[in-house]
Amino acid sequence: MPAPAVVLRTFLLIVLAGYTAFAAGPFVWVATMSLRTTTEIAADPYGLPWPLHWEKYADAWFGSNYDTYFWNSTIVTVSAVAALSILGAMAAYCLARYRFPGNRLLFFVIFSTIILPPQITIIGVFELLVDYGLYNTHLGLILVYIAMQMPLTVYILETFFARMPQDLFDAARMDGYSDFEIFWRIALPIGLPAVATTVILNMIYIWNEFLFAVVLLTDDDKRTLPLGIQRFMGDHLDDTGMLATGLMIAVIPIIVAYVFFSEKMIQGMTAGAIK
Amino acid sequence: MAVVRLERITKRFQAAGPPAVDDVSLVIEDGEFMVLLGPSGCGKSTTLRMIAGLETITAGELRIDDRVMNRVPAKDRDIAMVFQSYALYPHMSVQDNLAFGLKRRGVPRDEVRRRVAAAAVMLGLETLLERKPYALSGGQRQRVALGRAIVRDPKVFLFDEPLSNLDAALRVRTRGELIQQHQRLGATMIYVTHDQVEAMTMGTRICVMNHGRVVQVGRPLEVYRDPADTFVAAFIGSPPANLLGAEVAGAGGAVAVRVAGRELTLPRHRAADLEMLESRRVVFAIRPEDIAVAAPAGAADGAGLPARLIAVEPLGAETILVLAPDGLDEEILARVGPEVALRPGDRVALELNLRAAHLFDPTSTRALPRSRRGG
Repeated sequence: MPAPAVVLRTFLLIVLAGYTAFAAGPFVWVATMSLRTTTEIAADPYGLPWPLHWEKYADAWFGSNYDTYFWNSTIVTVSAVAALSILGAMAAYCLARYRFPGNRLLFFVIFSTIILPPQITIIGVFELLVDYGLYNTHLGLILVYIAMQMPLTVYILETFFARMPQDLFDAARMDGYSDFEIFWRIALPIGLPAVATTVILNMIYIWNEFLFAVVLLTDDDKRTLPLGIQRFMGDHLDDTGMLATGLMIAVIPIIVAYVFFSEKMIQGMTAGAIK
Repeated sequence: MAVVRLERITKRFQAAGPPAVDDVSLVIEDGEFMVLLGPSGCGKSTTLRMIAGLETITAGELRIDDRVMNRVPAKDRDIAMVFQSYALYPHMSVQDNLAFGLKRRGVPRDEVRRRVAAAAVMLGLETLLERKPYALSGGQRQRVALGRAIVRDPKVFLFDEPLSNLDAALRVRTRGELIQQHQRLGATMIYVTHDQVEAMTMGTRICVMNHGRVVQVGRPLEVYRDPADTFVAAFIGSPPANLLGAEVAGAGGAVAVRVAGRELTLPRHRAADLEMLESRRVVFAIRPEDIAVAAPAGAADGAGLPARLIAVEPLGAETILVLAPDGLDEEILARVGPEVALRPGDRVALELNLRAAHLFDPTSTRALPRSRRGG
């Protein structure tokens, strides 16, 4: 390898190593703290986790109502992500494949809602849920998450469906399939990388969402994980060790989901980049 | 087996816009291989898609075996189509691609298996049945697309430029395979292409289209030898016919035209047939193979058009000569044998086979009639 190439490669490696440390460092730190007690952390914030306090995970799960929060988060996230994937795919397919008056206007209106920060809509959403008896219910929170994430979902999927060659749909029509069957048996399976992308993005957002959850849920047995983690933060003193353990429990499903969907997600995000 | 009848079919994509297909009438006989030929945007694919049921028909009537099909959905027309991009379902194996249409039609599972196996044998796909389309070559994909149509055993096969994505060698081979399949199946086939070689070699008849209209329908050699207008003369043939401005010179019985100052008597035209001409001007057309090129010393004194050789393009089996006749602004092309001793810049004499020449009305661009028995 010529000398300039070695220099360039070394430089790139240093930059990448620095970026990785910057991105992964806080995560590794929280991971080590999750296995240390708050007293140990107070004595030496950056110390190594030794001895390993695995029992903290059991304490958090059983002693701090984490099983309930985890289950609540699972119900809300799975329901909202499933609804977003199916309804978003249908809406995106319709916008991408059907010519009708106002198609682009509708797409623009749906997508433009993405520019509104959640803080602006939260009072209106709160009033609406109270009016319809959905305040302090999982269904209400699920509907809010669906509304919040639908524009991005439709945008990603519409772009993907619009790129599918028309011949595929014509061939399926000639083969005798109805519009819905073509969507279900052709477009959706082919669009799986894009759907996987929206699944993982929506899952990360909804699993970690705090603002709407804290405003719209009041009962402790309905709370989701981010609210549960907040319980370790007192007015005067934080239980840093348990906070870290709670965070690690919360992040594990996301990591599993990412590992499961990441290959499909990368395919979806780079779709069309290469022919 | 079916007869496809198009009666004054028109297609407009916008109500106020120009028609994409304009008043097309055409009958495709049972078992015929009809080729719709024309340049990009001439309306041939739109016509095919209307037959398929993938586009609505703005006006006119489409019949298959005397049943009006205008409002019959694509799936109920008993038609199969092979697309330019093959349109194989990328998430399904070859076997599933072949069986997909049959399953929807409620064909029993054993029958599906039998038909898929038969088509796979016919097209040499037996070893590829478990593969996904991305693991196939272009030629294999094309065969799967054809197989998907064959297993359906439809009344009519439609082909929308199915060879245009193949390389030249594979295209020639697949062309031959398609001709064989037509002979074997004896089905009615309608084939869209812009490649006149495909049209000439495959079609029982050719329907030449331009600007959404049918310009000429006929057997390939008929269309080649007797082009209906200047567009067909220039579109069919490679290289195309030479079209030159000329003037009717003769009077009485035979017709003579003056081309580049020379008077040429056309043995197959009659003066009476030229009476409808508004002026004495005509378009004189002659195909490159109907021009013989000789060195001036070899030509009889005063005979032939004197010209200068501009370029020599050897193609192996033949040679194309680019020539500039004296007194003409246009260059003309001649097709001669493989061995040519001439060099660019040489003076030559052109001998035109006037029995094969055509005259066209410069206003309407239509061919002027000529006597079959003349000359």
